[in-house]
Amino acid sequence: MKNQQTTLMFLMAAVLLTVPALPATPSSNSNDGYGPGNPASPPLAGAQSTPSGQDKGRKGLLETIHRHVTLASTIPDNGDVNPYAVIIAPVSAGTIEKGDVLVTNFNAISNLQGTGTSIMDYRPSTKKMALFAQLPKKVPQCPVGVGLTTALAMLKSGWVIVGSAPSADGTTATKGDGCLLVLDSQGHLVSVWNGPTINVPWGDMAVIDNGDTATLFISMAGFDVPGPGVVDPKTGYPPVLHKSTVLRLKLSIPEGKPPVLVDQTVIGSGFSQRADKDNFLFGPTGLVLSPDQKTLYVTDGLDNLIAAIDDPVDRADSAGTGRVVTQNGQLAWPLAMVMTPEGHLLVCNGKDGKAVEVDPATGTQIYAQWIDPDQAQTPPGNGDLFGLAMTPDGTGFYYVQDDTNTLMEAIP
Amino acid sequence: MRNEGENVGKIRMGHWTPHWGMPLFKDGVMTEWSKKRWTVFLPVFCFWIGLGATFGAPPPISIPVDYTSLTNPSEGVFGFMDGINRSSYLFGDLWGLRTFLSRYGMTLSLQETSECLGNATGGIQQGATYDGLTQGVLQMDTSRAFGLRGGLLNVSGLFIHGVNLSPGNLDVLQTASGIEADDGVRFWEIWYDQKFFDSYGVSRFDIKLGQQSLDQEFMDSINAAYFVNTMFGWPMVPSADLPGGGPAYPLSALGARLQWKPVDGINILGGVYNGSPAPTSAGDPQQADPHGLSFPLNGGLLAIAEIQYSYPSLGDMVYSSTPALSGTYRLGFWYNTENFADERYDDQGLSQANPASDGNPLNHSGDYSIYGVADQMIWRSAKDPNRTLSFFARAMWAPEDRNLIDFSVNAGFVLKDPFTYRTDDVFGLAMGYAHVSPAVAGLASDTAFYDPGAFSPQPSGETFVEATYQYFVFPWFQLQPDVQYFFNPGGGVENPNSPGQLINNELVLGTRAILQL
Repeated sequence: MKNQQTTLMFLMAAVLLTVPALPATPSSNSNDGYGPGNPASPPLAGAQSTPSGQDKGRKGLLETIHRHVTLASTIPDNGDVNPYAVIIAPVSAGTIEKGDVLVTNFNAISNLQGTGTSIMDYRPSTKKMALFAQLPKKVPQCPVGVGLTTALAMLKSGWVIVGSAPSADGTTATKGDGCLLVLDSQGHLVSVWNGPTINVPWGDMAVIDNGDTATLFISMAGFDVPGPGVVDPKTGYPPVLHKSTVLRLKLSIPEGKPPVLVDQTVIGSGFSQRADKDNFLFGPTGLVLSPDQKTLYVTDGLDNLIAAIDDPVDRADSAGTGRVVTQNGQLAWPLAMVMTPEGHLLVCNGKDGKAVEVDPATGTQIYAQWIDPDQAQTPPGNGDLFGLAMTPDGTGFYYVQDDTNTLMEAIP
Repeated sequence: MRNEGENVGKIRMGHWTPHWGMPLFKDGVMTEWSKKRWTVFLPVFCFWIGLGATFGAPPPISIPVDYTSLTNPSEGVFGFMDGINRSSYLFGDLWGLRTFLSRYGMTLSLQETSECLGNATGGIQQGATYDGLTQGVLQMDTSRAFGLRGGLLNVSGLFIHGVNLSPGNLDVLQTASGIEADDGVRFWEIWYDQKFFDSYGVSRFDIKLGQQSLDQEFMDSINAAYFVNTMFGWPMVPSADLPGGGPAYPLSALGARLQWKPVDGINILGGVYNGSPAPTSAGDPQQADPHGLSFPLNGGLLAIAEIQYSYPSLGDMVYSSTPALSGTYRLGFWYNTENFADERYDDQGLSQANPASDGNPLNHSGDYSIYGVADQMIWRSAKDPNRTLSFFARAMWAPEDRNLIDFSVNAGFVLKDPFTYRTDDVFGLAMGYAHVSPAVAGLASDTAFYDPGAFSPQPSGETFVEATYQYFVFPWFQLQPDVQYFFNPGGGVENPNSPGQLINNELVLGTRAILQL
């Protein structure tokens, strides 16, 4: 018996040391768009090559990232959690310094979604996190309440604009239409934008800022979204609607005065959205403007793709859902998105902890990197990633992790 | 949390103005300004009409706000009922306590685990009991509290109540529930953990000092933790072989633990603790330290080391679209310097069952064990990424001469999101096996030899299987029906209520409720 036990122990040790070396088991579903050769699979740059000794020169940004630094907790004194938006302050104004990282929280201390009211300010020069703005839970001009989303922007004039997608019970069953909140550089609320075209301003904003004028591109994901308990009998999940829009707002910014809305146009429509009991709702989240401003890229998590809308600045009508840039592959419900200095799209996944780099010119998914491999969730990092922002020097990026409520920096 | 339509006070509403900021009418009369600009207004108006043809809705309106007049609504005593179906805690903000603590960087978790388990067959007797455990954990993030980066202070306590099923009904080695312990109120863990950072701000090293419960970090399986049986937490070998059952729930021991991550994906833990969690080795260790405040340092030492490998790890590059099947593997070793009695022989070399024995067991200096743990995702649905199937296994070995259990293993499968849109539910199927050491079996054999009239069965091994389903009701409330079946309870021991007979196999049924308060 002793020899049998000893043998068994050594066998266990051998298994434990050997299994990690085995190749990963491929997916059991051949129509999932993941396998090579599947028509839905995007081209993968260097997919057949090994990490070392491959093509000369680097292909993108992610391969230069080797460190992931936990900068600070994003939890303010009132206990808000679930960090969403991440942006870089373009100027110094009020309590904000140029280069500061602003982060919104979507949940209050109860962890109910759509109830977070705080914007945090991380200062790289001091490595300190402080509260920039604490909005009240109720703003009468924004019915139901306040729940700060990934929609956050700071203008060169110092004004901060943030989206609110409030809920009374943490689900879309009691959501309000939401609004856009305008704050001064001291973190004080000065005005509220609402109207029929604003319904759950959800994803990160793309911004053209000329100082005295500005153009914002914001996704609206809440039109007619029911509660998470409403289920499509055919699928067993909440029904997928196609009513999300991308709204373009043009602003005039009188000197010393808050921005004034001067124009609105829906330039994208028909994007997928649905309610979810765990994730509040799914809808278009990432918005990135190309450097020449001729293309607006949009992430559509439910359809697992990145789309492009042409002529976003001047078009007078909706491009519908635009054209598909890339789909499936390493994307897993893509959320926030940024553009690297070399013009690649960097997007974080909602259903695993990877960041995926895409060449929008060819639609090639270059590669991906695990930036949150937390196995407390399955798949690892599931539901942890949201906002992204490039560092000012373009060599890394900031991101948030919901599982630890922290602001992270990915650097070479 | 909030009430719809509640008036929060005086708000000064701005006048509605056209989008270019100038009034068109005053006292019902078109202003001079607007007359002059009619030629501008008309095409602009048409532009808006055109927009309406594309998207028939007025533009967003900008409403100025008097920031200083905004206040938060009062929640009231029953404010926690708002959003109770989605809150992470039953009592929400605990009437402001959590918000108050958060100002000082502190978080408070309160969890109640209540269960009703019973055996329908076998055992010493049949019946059911209620058992409960209330855990409170208070943590302080020193960075949020006073700006010291990387520090975490932890204080936890236990309120154990109810009746344990295993000792009264089952008499098994691998006790049916991981919350079983002596009733009482006690401190559990009191420690401080400090991370250290390199010049880039990356932490690869941290040290934890204080009263620690090793089952929170060592020999862990993230998949095994879903099950009810005790052995899926602190396993059988250390439970049976370490003095006092080792520093594990509900006990703990003073010590120091180092954690080092030489590279991403590799984690090395090493700790040194007091050899026993109890101040004395005689009797019930929980009663020897009934409130967790003895902090004994009079025993020997327990040294433990574990190396962990995880895939994927932070920073791993992925070049293929094949979904990652994550896994974590651990290999560990512990050594305890205290004295351990031989399970069979006395210090004269005679069997302890021999009437000529002096009754003093042979002494062994030190005890040790080697173990391995594997957690591996083996399947992931392509249609629903939340649906995964994982396998786990834990095996450990200890020398037979000085230990009751010389080998134990548990293994099983965990299926997450088993049904459509039940994303947080978990179904698990697992087994456990504990092998009674040959020395103990040999002593039983010796007893039968020297006393042929006595009923002295030779214990061998005990096996159990468990099926469990964790049903997500609310974020603060899970229900967990559970079924366990024990083969050869106790490894084959005499039923005290039926002399001359072994304890029969046991079917254990019950439901556990887990509430975050």
